[in-house]
Amino acid sequence: MTKPRNKLRLATLVALSLLSGLAQADRLDDIKKNGVLRVAAFDSNPPFGFIDPQTKQISGLDVDYAKELAARLGVKLELVPTNPANRIPLLTANKVDIVLANFTITEERAKQVNFSIPYFASGQQFIARKGTLSSPDQLGKLRIGVDKGTTNEIVLREKYPSATLVAYDDTPFAFTALRNGNVQAITQDGPKLIGLLANVPDKDKYEIPPFSISNDLIGAGLPKGETRLTEFVNTSLRELEASGKAQTIYDAWFGPDTKTPLTRIFRIGDK
Amino acid sequence: MDFTVVADNFSYFMLGAWPDGPLGGAALTLALSVVSALASGVLGLVFGIALAMTRGAAHNVLLLGLGFFRAIPVIMLIFWTYFLLPILFGIDVPGTGTVVVALSLIGGSYLAHSVHAGILSLPPGQWQAAAALGLRRGQALRLVILPQALPIMVPSFINQWVALVKDTSLAYVIGVGELSFVATQVSNREMVYPTEIFLFVALVYFIFCSTLELCANRVARRFGTGAG
Amino acid sequence: MLDELLAPKYLGWLIEGFGVTLLLSALVSVAATALGLALCLGRIAPSRLWSWPARAWLSVFRNTPLLVQLFFWYFGASALMPEGLLIWLNTPHHWDLALFGVRWPSFEYLAGFFGLTLYTAAFIAEEFRSGVRGVPAGQIAAAQALGFTPLQVWLNVVMPQAFRISLPPLLGQYMNAVKNSSLTMAIGLAELSYASRQVETETFKTFQAFGVATALYILTIIVIELAGQWLQRRRPAPGAAGA
Repeated sequence: MTKPRNKLRLATLVALSLLSGLAQADRLDDIKKNGVLRVAAFDSNPPFGFIDPQTKQISGLDVDYAKELAARLGVKLELVPTNPANRIPLLTANKVDIVLANFTITEERAKQVNFSIPYFASGQQFIARKGTLSSPDQLGKLRIGVDKGTTNEIVLREKYPSATLVAYDDTPFAFTALRNGNVQAITQDGPKLIGLLANVPDKDKYEIPPFSISNDLIGAGLPKGETRLTEFVNTSLRELEASGKAQTIYDAWFGPDTKTPLTRIFRIGDK
Repeated sequence: MDFTVVADNFSYFMLGAWPDGPLGGAALTLALSVVSALASGVLGLVFGIALAMTRGAAHNVLLLGLGFFRAIPVIMLIFWTYFLLPILFGIDVPGTGTVVVALSLIGGSYLAHSVHAGILSLPPGQWQAAAALGLRRGQALRLVILPQALPIMVPSFINQWVALVKDTSLAYVIGVGELSFVATQVSNREMVYPTEIFLFVALVYFIFCSTLELCANRVARRFGTGAG
Repeated sequence: MLDELLAPKYLGWLIEGFGVTLLLSALVSVAATALGLALCLGRIAPSRLWSWPARAWLSVFRNTPLLVQLFFWYFGASALMPEGLLIWLNTPHHWDLALFGVRWPSFEYLAGFFGLTLYTAAFIAEEFRSGVRGVPAGQIAAAQALGFTPLQVWLNVVMPQAFRISLPPLLGQYMNAVKNSSLTMAIGLAELSYASRQVETETFKTFQAFGVATALYILTIIVIELAGQWLQRRRPAPGAAGA
């Protein structure tokens, strides 16, 4: 009976050293040591993160920021595709180092993860068939498609408890449900909806009514307690704004010559 | 219907971003299936033999453990392995590894019962004859029982593997870029072709699974155990 | 992380999701058993007019993933439906049946039920088929010798025994229906797995949310297993085959 017990002791030791390793290590050092920055980004939400049909790689506004961060660290960038619901589990389960996926900063989330300073701002808006939705008062009577694991879902449930919510894995699923008539409206952050509608062949059938029901600030999500990594991201974001690089990234996806022209109302450091 | 969307993205469906990125699509589905099939086969054999050779408390503990994996939905086990093992025990299993572990544990648990049933299906006289020849229990199993029982089990192994190929599609919930996942990515980008894309994806799985099933029937006929 | 429990509100969500899971799996099991029986009869029919379509159905539905089938029914097939039918399916209708009104199910529910039933029926048909094969040929010959008509042979000799032989694997298929119903969360049906993800989103209590859901699934499987053992003891299969 000595053999199994030794094995058990060994396993305990290994587990303990792993755990203490997790507690002591500083993620910024780990990233530099491993030479890889693991970033979770959307793969189905143009222009924030989507699979480029030519390169077959994830690209978009969030990805451009990820590339800048990796370049500053002098490490390789590894992108992990995510949907909205997997963002926090990916961080808490130590599957990625940073989440750059249109991640709204909230107090509740801030208890689970660190946030950088905001690098984007938006408001929660809706897409509906033309003529079905003109004011927020109508929301309570509608069947509305939301994305699982988003603040949109929580905000809508709190503000319009009588609305029927159907949650999908990602915005395009919700939009397909809207197109098929399963829901009457879908909700997401305005810029994300604009990006979505820009890629729809029959976009003239739909509209984004000109009201929003919340104002959201978007930041990078980081593992809880990783102060140095958070500081690094904050500094980098400020420098990207100062050098004009942040504006270049914005213009590449929302500038006047793009499919989704949108005036830049928020600059890094505004809040 | 307009299947140009399938033609345009064909290499992404088949190989993912490879060679410029990790292997994905149907190729990854195949790879995940083969590795999980082998692992589930080994687990099934080991636990099935253990079921046949154990009595009492050990037997019951084994039954309970196997029962757990037969009762939990695949999606739940994938979530547990991927998100909760790292939090609870600090064990980090990458996405592809998670799928292989979850599928082979579940597949192995089902197979263990088939293996057990296969061993039990042999008349007890076989064991007695082996014992009379002076073979120990382990030797009897290896030399007398298994060579007869294994062919009987072949159809249930292949049926389990067909189930396993289909279940690789659940890797989609944790973002592993197998066929179903890359298909939803493309469907999400193109927006208006879900019918065409999912019909095509179904066809690919159909080809994989029915090829396996054809093999099963052929093997079953060869061993005279009826069509699978 | 382990010391915090879920607030009653969130437990309520999980219980509600569990109710949807149970109702959906029960409805699917009943419908799939009927459809599976019909498919089995078609499959073993002497005429190719019947057996080939049944064979094709079984092959297609058994050899493609349920997730892909659900995506197809929910997103793909509804894109093909005429707009009028879709609108009709999506608007709540009321039928007042004798005592209680029946609430019109959501389109997610319809698609989930439809997809799961077609899938499960294909597996149940095969279980029935091996049940029928398990009835000794001598019994049929004996019944014919006694002057039974072919229909009587089927109804009185083959079917009752085939049912008993297929009972254990049939229960296995019902368990699969419960577990497979978890996939309908991908098309927005608010069942147990969906509820657990939703609770996780709001509370971030991943462990508790998944833990409760997993426990409820396992509980359901255990109950079906026990019910099966009880049924088996009451009416053992002929010759104790398939035990």
